[in-house]
Amino acid sequence: MQLKKVLTLRTIVATSAGLTLSSSTFVAAVQVAGFLAGDAAWLAILTGGLLCTTAALCFGELNGMTPSAAGIRLYFSRAFNDQLALIVSMLYMVVIMGVIGAESYVLAQVLNEVWPVVPALVWILTMFSIVTALNVLGVKIAGGFQNVLTYGLLLSMLAFAFIALVKVNFQLTTPLGTGNAVGLVNAVALGVFLFVGFEWVTPLAEEVTHHRIVSRGMLLAIGILSVTYALFTVAMTATTPREALAGSPIPHLLFARSILGDAGVAWMVVITLAASITTFNAGLISVSRFVYSSAREHVLPPVFSKISIRFFTPWTAVLAIFIIGLAISIAVLVTHRYLVLVNIAAAMESIIYALAGLAVIRLRKKMPEVDRPYRIPGNYIIPGICALMFTVLALAVFVSFPIVLLYIALGLLICTWYVNVVVPELKRRYQAQKAAAKPRRRLMARESSKSD
Amino acid sequence: MATHEEISASLQSFYEGYKKNNKLNLMNRDWNRIIIIKASDIDSQHTLTLQNGELSVSQGAPDQKADLVVTSDSETLADLFYGDITPTEPYLNGTLVIQGSEDDILRLDFISLMIWGE
Repeated sequence: MQLKKVLTLRTIVATSAGLTLSSSTFVAAVQVAGFLAGDAAWLAILTGGLLCTTAALCFGELNGMTPSAAGIRLYFSRAFNDQLALIVSMLYMVVIMGVIGAESYVLAQVLNEVWPVVPALVWILTMFSIVTALNVLGVKIAGGFQNVLTYGLLLSMLAFAFIALVKVNFQLTTPLGTGNAVGLVNAVALGVFLFVGFEWVTPLAEEVTHHRIVSRGMLLAIGILSVTYALFTVAMTATTPREALAGSPIPHLLFARSILGDAGVAWMVVITLAASITTFNAGLISVSRFVYSSAREHVLPPVFSKISIRFFTPWTAVLAIFIIGLAISIAVLVTHRYLVLVNIAAAMESIIYALAGLAVIRLRKKMPEVDRPYRIPGNYIIPGICALMFTVLALAVFVSFPIVLLYIALGLLICTWYVNVVVPELKRRYQAQKAAAKPRRRLMARESSKSD
Repeated sequence: MATHEEISASLQSFYEGYKKNNKLNLMNRDWNRIIIIKASDIDSQHTLTLQNGELSVSQGAPDQKADLVVTSDSETLADLFYGDITPTEPYLNGTLVIQGSEDDILRLDFISLMIWGE
């Protein structure tokens, strides 16, 4: 490797797990438990984690073939076609904005519970403004800080789980009783939400010594998260009344209060803040970079490719995301329908993972000669399982929550229309403008060297 | 397929565009980076060095490790540094591969945007 700076496995694991940990995952964990009869949430979470490892393996192979920050846009473009890749990427970015909306709602509720005099909207505005300002100024969460944040969060969750389980003498209600099969499938489908974003670490492939580090990092992160979420959720449902947890956007706060009182609440607020800030930041960075590169590619209007001369950041893209994110958050605050966003994200993530499995299969047939630094063993078994299982899970979410299907179908229609109608027009205008404004410099240089 | 000389000429053109832009010199005062430009289809390597806002171009590999490694076919590299194409399209379709930190990659794109425009 000819590079000066490279990232370590520890930072890759911390980044992958850190991007996944958010305040809304606590809400999703309670939803997972709600689909099952006893304290069997761990079973659904571990199954969800196991399925996500198949997706991680697929991302590992895809990322090894094309290590690029462009991520799914590039993988799907090569495997299927550029139009599909663009449609899916756009929809995914919109869903990420939705996750930020749900996240801001949960965090605002947590802070409002502790400081009720400050309205939730003020908290949302403050958080968005801070993260937006950091992004416009180009301040980044450093690798070392990310390590401390993620490992501190994981240890805190394990500590809470351990304290709670000691309180009930490790006595659980039917830890293996999942109830009916439909409930289990739904629980696993929603359990996927707990791992949303582990693959956002793939853009770091350009900063590691070997692509295998990214694949290994994703697998380790999923393993650690599976165990942590499983223990935390079981401890939460074993010590706090389910009815109270299920109806609340702040179940983790109720849990913390029930086992450690006010000290537990204070500790949990710190955890929630850390989890949310990393999610906000990662979401804003991912979406604003996508918006910027799309504008540079003439897929979005050129106004979004404006950069700050002082801070070298795509400020118009960041501001646009700030406005859209704030609008979504306010809509969630007014309607209180944060769970719809959680379910949409779970379904969308399942679609992305299913497509990743299909992309591996298709690329092996389409480009068998391309070097694969990491190749999933067992021929097509793992990518096949990944594609099939995540399709089933997405369908399970659609059956349980038909409104999710409606929203995703609507989003898909709008993105398809945009890609097929607006994008060609934007590109045509750019080409016309470019042809009129400047001749090809390389051609001119060639001509002038010939005449000399 | 472009020649090594064409890539050198394109980098010279990039260098001149950079030099003309005083803002870029100021903005990159604290961005000291070594960038390798490598063609994947011909034997051609160049080094861009940014030191205290000043850009220099040299042939071959640098003595020290680089911050960014830009690899693509010779055609794309020549078009890119002449400003005839934007880096985004070849980057998104995998023709252009850049190794290095995401922030540095973005900064390089910003520089190209400021030199050549949209």
